Amino acid sequence: MSPDLNLRENWRISLLVLLLVTSGVLLFVPSGEAEGPTNLQYGLELDGGTRLRAELVGMTAEGVGGVTADNVGDVEQGVAAELGLDQIDVTVRRTTQSTATVEVFDGNVTESEFVAALQAVGLDAAGEDLRSGVTGETRDVATDVLERRINQGGLTGGTVSTVTSGGGDVFVVAEVPGANRSEVLQLIGEPGRIQIVAAYPTEVGNETVTRRTPLLTQGDFAGIRPAQQASQGNPPRVPVTLTEPAAANFTNAMQNFGFTGPGVNACDQEAAYNGSEDVGYCLLTVVDGDVTYAADMSAGLAGDLRPGPDGEAPFLQTRGFSMNTRTFSEAQNLKLNLESGALPTELDIQSQLFLAPSLAQAFKPLALLTGLAAWLTVTGVIFYRYREPRVAIPMLGTAIAEVFILLGFAAGVGLALDLSHIAGFIAVIGTGVDDLVIIADEVLQRGEIKTGRVFQNRFRKAFWVIGAAAATTIIAMSPLAVLSLGDLQGFAIVTIVGVLIGVLITRPAYGNILRNLLLEE
Amino acid sequence: MVDVTVPDADYEPYTNRQLALVPVAVLVLALVVIGGWYVMNGTPVELGFDFTGGSEVRFTTGASLEQVRATFEGIPIESIQPASGDTFILTTQATDTAAIEELARGAGYEVEQVQSRSATFGASAQQEALIGLVVAFLGMSVLVGLMFRTFIPSIAVVLSAFSDIVIPLAVMNLLGMELTLGVVAALLMLIGYSVDSDILLNNHILRRRGGFYESAYRARRTGVTMTLTSISAMVVMGAVSAVLAIPLLPAIGLILAVGLTADLMNTYLLNMSLLRYYKYEGVAK
Repeated sequence: MSPDLNLRENWRISLLVLLLVTSGVLLFVPSGEAEGPTNLQYGLELDGGTRLRAELVGMTAEGVGGVTADNVGDVEQGVAAELGLDQIDVTVRRTTQSTATVEVFDGNVTESEFVAALQAVGLDAAGEDLRSGVTGETRDVATDVLERRINQGGLTGGTVSTVTSGGGDVFVVAEVPGANRSEVLQLIGEPGRIQIVAAYPTEVGNETVTRRTPLLTQGDFAGIRPAQQASQGNPPRVPVTLTEPAAANFTNAMQNFGFTGPGVNACDQEAAYNGSEDVGYCLLTVVDGDVTYAADMSAGLAGDLRPGPDGEAPFLQTRGFSMNTRTFSEAQNLKLNLESGALPTELDIQSQLFLAPSLAQAFKPLALLTGLAAWLTVTGVIFYRYREPRVAIPMLGTAIAEVFILLGFAAGVGLALDLSHIAGFIAVIGTGVDDLVIIADEVLQRGEIKTGRVFQNRFRKAFWVIGAAAATTIIAMSPLAVLSLGDLQGFAIVTIVGVLIGVLITRPAYGNILRNLLLEE
Repeated sequence: MVDVTVPDADYEPYTNRQLALVPVAVLVLALVVIGGWYVMNGTPVELGFDFTGGSEVRFTTGASLEQVRATFEGIPIESIQPASGDTFILTTQATDTAAIEELARGAGYEVEQVQSRSATFGASAQQEALIGLVVAFLGMSVLVGLMFRTFIPSIAVVLSAFSDIVIPLAVMNLLGMELTLGVVAALLMLIGYSVDSDILLNNHILRRRGGFYESAYRARRTGVTMTLTSISAMVVMGAVSAVLAIPLLPAIGLILAVGLTADLMNTYLLNMSLLRYYKYEGVAK
């Protein structure tokens, strides 16, 4: 046999060796990312940490007619007022020239209340498509905010993603290795919404009451500058720049509410911090409903907010605004919250898992031990059945090779191994040994193999059965690989990939090895 | 050169009906058990925490069961069960576990694991598992039909796979086991394993030259080796992981061991009798 022919005839074995070497490199050549002796990454169930799955609270109406570029703000305000909510709890996103998607972020609003509120502000809400849940855009915002909070808040390696269940429900999944449940909840449990609220006296009938109107929230800032220490009589503060529409709204509101007239320097800070009703004219900084700072309208700002000689307030050009705080550390927190953003709505936590790292990490060697015990059992049965090392040893070697390549694949794509993946490994070894027995029995039937052609013929017959069985296994696993809450997805993916590697590479290579060993006689 | 350790079973003295009687009877019995469970409890098998929602807190302590119960006095909990060693598992229908964790930590227990799921999330998981199983089974049936393109051999494979899934479910009811996500994974694996030996048998009998009994013997020799190897591996895996207290794996080992044992019966009695009927009576006409 010339070397050329040898290589061509044994290409399956060459491919197997190539893959084994590749897997070895992927597994053991240090990449600098993973810890431990291998490059394998482990999921929560094998490393410990916390996983939360939550739905975002809200209701969405799609295809609502009557929304134009000009009335988006009014619609938000109107719908919120109808439902007794803050404007921050209603979001309108225009989808076409005249239609929009309206979301309300409150769990207590019913469908009929929502429709009634839409109609009350003059929208065409007859043919709309109402559903519970929020839009993809809102979810993207929430995912980004959660990820920033976790990783800026001192917990490292946290990931946030979304999964869709078979029934179409979408869940946000936050996984934080090494952290416990309360640490994670502390960071992401609260929406962290910052509002600037105007508090001012107004006449209702013959009585004077104090009204509070939210003016600015996180989305209204075009620029956020670093927090500044108290200086020249000013308190610690975060200088921000408003967006153009926010600046226009703010200017109008300040003029209408009287902040540019009687409201200058008329805030009773004591009263505001004590939670009193009557506070005069204050600009309140409110975080998740708590007043953290009550500010006066300064004479300078009031001047900018009044219409200038050209009829336009200078503030519309500058749009600069200071968010004051009582201490410098509050200013720093405020800046962090302004930057990480508010969660658009509350999280309704659906499932929580905390696994102590000590317990989870103990599973790793134990699972390995279990796998080893199962493999030794297979070894015993195979030796008892064949009593022929030339058949049995390559068979067991091939089974191990499949697992090794699969582990290399996991390291290569950065799959975080969990217990469900280990179940997948078991499934792969099981079908693998089945297939190897089929190949061995087919090739070895009726005594010796005289020529390569006889071998080829028998191998093809065996392969039909193996291919058919593999196809059914892949079909059986595919629903879970696609639609999944994530619990069984890893299992399904490992099984499918493993069966493919087995059928295309390792199991044919075993046939090739057998042929070489048996034809040599 | 190959030593044959699978004993030769003699099918000739038995009629197809006699052969099929045992697996059909076992299948009917299993369906009765599952049906009875459904009538009494509203679900075909008892649903575990993964599907019903609620909370499970696992902690270790040197304290006795009585002391542990006293610790959680006055808090609505469902049960406290001792697990292996010093570990206890507390279950409750509530999903807020903060109070329980606080009490456990206050008493000096080490909280190792906290899991909770809302009932709606459990219902989603239920739906997903059901869709997964049904689609997998239908996909397998269609593929088998396309492969053999004849009714009786195809239905033999599908029926055998169905029985392989139903029998372990009935055994779960008899043992008082709950359906978990791990069990669902095991049932899906069973579809794959079950079809392996059935396709092998069909292939040998329908697509090879040689007499029925010779082909059947060859297929059985290979198939029984496969299944026995898998059963022994699953028994060992289930037992070892149960002793080492690894979650998920003991249930998978048990379900697969039971299902594969059922598969031996279904493949070599039910499927075999249907194939013999097809070969000698179905085709001849």
